[in-house]
Formats: sequence, C-alpha cells, structure tokens
Amino acid sequence: MAKLNTVSADLKFTKGAISFQGFTLVSAKTAVRLPGDSDTTYTVKQQDLAISLEVVIAGGHVYLHLPFSTYQEIQGSQAAAIPDLAKLFDPTTGLPAIIPAGRNLSDAGADKVDGVDVQKINATYSADQLRSMFAQLSSSVDVNAVVWVGASDHLIRKAQLDGAFGDGGKEAAVEVDISGFNAAVNISPPSP
Amino acid sequence: MLRVSRPVLLGLAGAGLFIAALDAYVVVTLLPSMIADVGLTIDRFEQATPIVTGFLGGYVVAMPLLGAYSDARGRAPVYAACMLVFAAGSVITATSGLWSFAGLPWLVAGRVLQGLGGGGLVPLSLALAADLYQGEARTLALGSVAALQEAGSVFGPLYGASLAALAASAGGWRFVFWLNLPLAAICAAGLVVATRRATQPSRHANSSIDWVSASLLGLGLGLLVVALYPDDPDHRATSSLLLPAGIASLVVLALYGWRQVHRLEPLVPRELLRSRGFIGAGVANVLIGAALMVALVDVPVLGRLVFNLDQLGSGLLLSRFLVGIPVGAVLGGWLAGRFGGRLVAVGGILLSGAGFLQMSTWPANELALHVGFVRQADVALAACGLGLGVVIAPLTAAVLALTRDQSHGLATSLVVLARTMGMLVGLSALTAFGLYRFHQILGTPVLTDPNLRARVDHLARLVAAAFLQEYREIFTIAAAICALAALVMIATIDQRLRATAIR
Repeated sequence: MAKLNTVSADLKFTKGAISFQGFTLVSAKTAVRLPGDSDTTYTVKQQDLAISLEVVIAGGHVYLHLPFSTYQEIQGSQAAAIPDLAKLFDPTTGLPAIIPAGRNLSDAGADKVDGVDVQKINATYSADQLRSMFAQLSSSVDVNAVVWVGASDHLIRKAQLDGAFGDGGKEAAVEVDISGFNAAVNISPPSP
Repeated sequence: MLRVSRPVLLGLAGAGLFIAALDAYVVVTLLPSMIADVGLTIDRFEQATPIVTGFLGGYVVAMPLLGAYSDARGRAPVYAACMLVFAAGSVITATSGLWSFAGLPWLVAGRVLQGLGGGGLVPLSLALAADLYQGEARTLALGSVAALQEAGSVFGPLYGASLAALAASAGGWRFVFWLNLPLAAICAAGLVVATRRATQPSRHANSSIDWVSASLLGLGLGLLVVALYPDDPDHRATSSLLLPAGIASLVVLALYGWRQVHRLEPLVPRELLRSRGFIGAGVANVLIGAALMVALVDVPVLGRLVFNLDQLGSGLLLSRFLVGIPVGAVLGGWLAGRFGGRLVAVGGILLSGAGFLQMSTWPANELALHVGFVRQADVALAACGLGLGVVIAPLTAAVLALTRDQSHGLATSLVVLARTMGMLVGLSALTAFGLYRFHQILGTPVLTDPNLRARVDHLARLVAAAFLQEYREIFTIAAAICALAALVMIATIDQRLRATAIR
C-alpha cells in the first residue's frame, strides 16, 4: 500500500448517519493521485433528496462542482472544510499506516475480492486512528473493522468499519472498496 | 357451482385490482425517496421517468390480452398468475437499491412487471363481473369494477405517502411494496379457493394469448417512450432518437392496429372502430389521461421542490385534487342524466382547464395565499380534480352507449386503456419538455456564497424558482390540452348518449 501512486475507492455509508455541513453522506467515489490530488463525487442527502457534490483537488487547488453549475475554485476555510479523500491513502496517516496498526488482529479466513485472492482480517481501531483516516468519522470509542488484504500483493482491497462513529456517537457503518491500484487517472484543474 | 356468494367473488377480484391500481400512482409521492435510494441524484431527475412510465407501459400491454385467454383457462388461475407477476414485480421494486446490482434498471424492471400483472387484472375483473351477473346487475357490477380501478388511481399517491410515513421505521417507501405480497396472496388465494369448483372454462374459446399483438403493442409503446425520453435535457427538449424511434413506434403501432382490424375475431368490433363517438371518446380520454398525469405527477414534485413540503405534505397537497375526482365522477353521472352527456363532459373539462390555468400563475408563496378562509391553491386543485371527475362518467357512458351489454366490460377496458395511453405519452412528452425548459430557465448559476452550505441553499432557491416556472408552463399546456379535449367532445360526443349499440 505504501508504494501507491494512484488508486480509486468507493465508500458507502451503510448504517447510521454521518454528516458534514448539514448534509448526510450516502456514498463517495474517488480517484486519487498521491500525494494530494483527487477527484471525488460525494452523494449526500438533504431530507430525502440526493445531491451530488464533486470536489477536484489538483496542485493544491480545490474546485467544487454543484449540480447544474460550473466548477468553482474555493479557498481558505471553505476548502479546508471539504473532506479530502486523498488523505485516506496518505502513507503516514491514512489506511496504509493505520490498517497494520490495528489491535486484536485475527484471521477471518480466505476470500476473494474482484477475483483476487485475499485474506480477511478482523481488527480494532481507536477513535484517533479512525479520525486520522477520515476526519468526518468521529468516535469516542473503539471501532471494529474487517479488512480484506491481497494474499500476494498485500494491497488493501476492501474494508468495513462498524462502530459508534455516526452523528451524535450513534452506530454507523462504512464500506470501502479499493481498486485501480497504480492505474492511469486523469485529475486536472477543471475549466470553469 | 359457486361455493361463495357473487359479491364476495367480485369483491376479491376488485380488491386485487384496487391494490394494483393504487400501485400505479403510489410512486408519484414516493419518487424522490425512491430515486435517491437507487443512487439517482436530483440533477439526473429525468432518468426517473421510466419508474412511472414502466408501470403504465406494462399496464397498457397486458390490458387487452388476458380477457379472451381467461375465457379458456378460467378466470381464477389467470387472475392468480397476474397477481403472482404483480407480487414478483413488487418484490423487485421493494428491493431496489439494496444491492449494487439493484439500481435503476432493477427498479424499472420491477415496475414493468407490476404493470403487466396489474394491467391483466382489469379485463379479468371485468370479465368475472360479466360472468357473475346478468342484465342491469351486470352493468352495476362492471361499473363497480371500473370505479375500483379509478379509485385506486386516485388514492394511490396519498396511500403511498401516508403508508410510507407510518412505516418510516419499517422500510419507508419499501414497505408500500412489501405490503403487496400478503394482499396479493389473500386476493389470489381467496379467488382460486372460492372458484375451485366454479364453471369450467369453455374449450371452444380462444386458449392462447395473442403474443404477436402483445409484442407489437409493447414494442410500439417502448419505442414511443424511447422517442420521448429526455436523453440530454441540458441542450434539447427531445430525444436524439425522436425521429427514428418515433417513426418506428408509429409503424409498429399501426401494424398492431391493422392486425386488430383484420383479425377474424377482432378484439374491438370494426363498426365500433369506425364510430365517430367511439373515436372521439377515445381521443378525449387520451387527452384527459395526459392532463390527469400532469396533476398527479407534477403537483407532488412541486410541493417537494418548490414549496418545501415533506413526502406526506406533498401527498396531502395532491389530496385536494384527488378528492375532487370521485366527487366529480358522481356529480358528472347525475348531471349527465339531467343535462346531457356532452354539455356536462365539456363543462367538466373546461372547469379542469380553468383550474390548470390558475395553477399556471402560482407564485412561490402560493400556499400562503387565501380566498377567504380557503387556501387559493386548494380551490384550484379541487376544481381541477372535480372537473376531471365530472368528465369520467359521460365519456364512459358515451362508449357504453355504443356497445351491447355483453361488450360493456370491453368498452370500459378500452376507456381505461385510452386514458392510460394518454398518461404514458403525456408524462413522457411533458417530462422531456419540462426538463429542457428547466435547464433553459436555470442556466448555469455562478455561486459565490461563503461556504458550501450557503452555496447549496442558494442553488436550491434558484432550482426551486426554475422548477416553479417550468411547472407553470406545464400547467398552461395542461389547460390547453383540456381545451382541445373539450373541442373533441363537442365535435364527437352524442348529447343524448342514446346511440344505437353496435353489434
């Protein structure tokens, strides 16, 4: 995982409610070029209407695309408030660093993800470890996880987190499917 | 020999038909939640159209098919098969969005199956009514079945919104479709058990489904929906396939019509097809179906996106329109007897047109405006529903007056079929137009608000304003459709409604 240059991920928030800026996260689909570029489409819900918000982070600039409108660059605190999924794959604070640091590791058997042989591992992570990966997941207690790791390449192919990291400390769950390891991605500053 | 009373048998058949008819329109208030759960976002709203048109398409295809088939196979087994298809469609619909493969195509497939099963119940229930009753009682029985079908359509949106709200913790909108399973099982099993030793099917009757006709009708309607699908509403009002798919649709539907006219035992008597009154009533019903669909679909969406009502609130807003329909239907029947069918039908559709015209002037704060103690919007919606209700009885009577008693079931089926066709085409065409206008009106907003929340709220206000303008224009078109229907009725409907029955 530490040798990654590019990667894609699908996040699905399958239980509970996780919010940012008043929107409930439903899913996120991202393409990342490390160390800091990403193109992410968040699907959020306002009441029960689904809205897609696209965020492109390229060369340190953050661009936001709302439905029906053009891309616009946002700066300062606005940009900082937008979740950055590139951080999920940061070799020092993201999945590559945090996943191996889990506690209570146990082997949950062999499995396949997208036709690739993987090893399923159960683990426990602290609230700080969780926040380090994705700031919007705030928990005050440990979180259980299942991680699918490639049997031969040791790449993390899938992860499921389950615990009290939802809004107000309520139970929530998130699934992360990871693919496109070092595949070509096109992330460039969008024209407005 | 029948083991249970006729009203019980007819009640079981009618209950199933009512459930299926409810499901035709439950989605109009549930649509935002449903599309969100299959991953469709608000900017891809046009892709939700097949959720409604899929059901209507299935309904229209199945409706003309199964009456004759059940003559040979028996009403109850075919009825149970239809209920099974309807229940299978309900399961597929209810499970949409639960797995990654169960997205929009899965949901639309579920709705098409529901429509196929539900549409088959219309001729079956009418045929059963005709089997069970003779003479004047038969007309009353047929009328009751038709009324159940109409009532299901009318109460569907409110039923869906209320049930989903009550079952918010038990699946919300999904519960509406899960509930179909026990209801369908009760109706189907009840009818099968009750008629187990009933009259044996006639061996002389046609024992096969006319698959060629079914395929032609299904293909023709499918092509029509494709032709009217708004595949790029940002840039054009029509589909890129409008001409090829539209022409192909017309050719295929013409083949279907030709086949019906030239078959040895055509479904519809040839003389009836040539009757001015029948053609006029059919065309008027198509137009009324389109106008009805405008209110059924657009009022709840307007309530959600412009007036910021929740699911139940938008259903309740629509209820002002819905209550007018049955009241109007009863009133229309009574008035037609006194003043003649044409006058009443034309008066009804003009009242409805006036309602749409008033709706075309609605401002964003419409729900705060009152006429005396009554909300202005409620008056317009009630007038619109009342007018459409008033026109139902005289138009149906116009078709019934042209047919013999034995053909009343078929005639009523044809009225429903024409109206459903109008709904299907009207919804497809007006959605395409509406979304194109929406994009034209909205343009490409530039948002410079200080944070994401403020930007989205700003965008929501702009979107609401664009939707409001779009729907005003659609309501104007609906008013024009009502005026056109009035002209058709003036030209074709017999004022006395005592035309000679065609044999």
